Amino acid sequence: MNATRSLNCKNVTKKYGDKIVLNQVNFTLEEGKIYGLIGRNGAGKTTLLSILAAHAPLTEGEVLLDEETVWENTNALQYICFSRELNLSAASPLWNMRVKEYLRMAAIYFPFWDQMYADKLIKQFELNTKEKFGKLSKGMLSMVTIIVALASKAPFTFLDEPVAGLDVVMRRVFYKLLLEEYTLSGRTFVISTHIIEEVSDVLEEVLIIDKGKLLLKENTVELLEKAVEVSGLSEVVDKAVNGLDIQCVETVGRRKHAVVLLKEDETIKEEYDVTVKPVGLQDLFVAMCGNEA
Amino acid sequence: MLENLNQEKSIYVQISEMIETDILRGILLEEERVPSTNELAKLYAINPATAAKGINILVDEEILYKKRGIGMFVSTGAKEKILARRRSEFYENYIKTLLKEAESIGLNREQIIEMIQSSK
Repeated sequence: MNATRSLNCKNVTKKYGDKIVLNQVNFTLEEGKIYGLIGRNGAGKTTLLSILAAHAPLTEGEVLLDEETVWENTNALQYICFSRELNLSAASPLWNMRVKEYLRMAAIYFPFWDQMYADKLIKQFELNTKEKFGKLSKGMLSMVTIIVALASKAPFTFLDEPVAGLDVVMRRVFYKLLLEEYTLSGRTFVISTHIIEEVSDVLEEVLIIDKGKLLLKENTVELLEKAVEVSGLSEVVDKAVNGLDIQCVETVGRRKHAVVLLKEDETIKEEYDVTVKPVGLQDLFVAMCGNEA
Repeated sequence: MLENLNQEKSIYVQISEMIETDILRGILLEEERVPSTNELAKLYAINPATAAKGINILVDEEILYKKRGIGMFVSTGAKEKILARRRSEFYENYIKTLLKEAESIGLNREQIIEMIQSSK
């Protein structure tokens, strides 16, 4: 692969009957970045990834790899890997399958598959591949999805909640493996998660979706530099944040907290006796998407 | 470099400050290679682009310089440069906040000076 590719999500809408799950979603993913897709439960994260990887049809719009649609396009799809979160029940066809057989299928399915890398990861995770899926713990299921994603070597790789079942030590191991593979290969990764704080430093860009809409797609560092929490006496805070892009306000007695996104050249003036603090990605996300809680 | 990254400052600012502090403490010596962006990324589990941003601040200030194909090195005189800048920023970073806090709790200048003189 020489030229850098891009994946284009154009006006994508997905409806299940009357229910709108994704609403006019537009963005472009460039090759060579780690993106984070964050949103609350039911925001549409998994649906969006399924559509980007052409695992599911869309209602309106299109997904293009460069100029080509990905839908039913084996040429485009060889560059995309969507490693789904495995949630198994006894009724699932995977229940009695051994991990080994599943990985063998992945090796056939993904044209850039790297078996040596897969073997190395299996060893590192101490995963017993002779085990049947029905016997695996949540953490081990996460490891299988991570192994498939990393070893697929697909230029665009999507991981859906990769760390959900992992303990804190294994999560750390995963972030390091991801960064290692990323720096060696320059592949594009999209990671959907709701464990936000610890992953925020890994993400070059973040996409926030809420109720099927894309709220923002921005460079993580630049976004966090604009986000501040202003607190103090209610009236003074009101004056200090007047006219700014206020994401969320909370009042306790005379005290008020406001989370604002500053535009370029905007600052909280020193003349106001308020406390101005930086806001982490998780708190910013809650301020933007937690309104009905 | 074992400090934990926190939220008070941007990660890249923390990366550049940590490298500076390592230079001041003699953990990194002048004309010695500093960890690469990929090494920093892995060490702190941060995006390499963010680590690069931190390194670039120090390159702009000529505290680090690039040897093509080898990596980033600590410039000669880096330690003196960092000390000079930190001294010049001392008023802005420490004295100003100290005076603001003193004013809000009703301490006057004489009382502060007395505290400074009586502290060891």
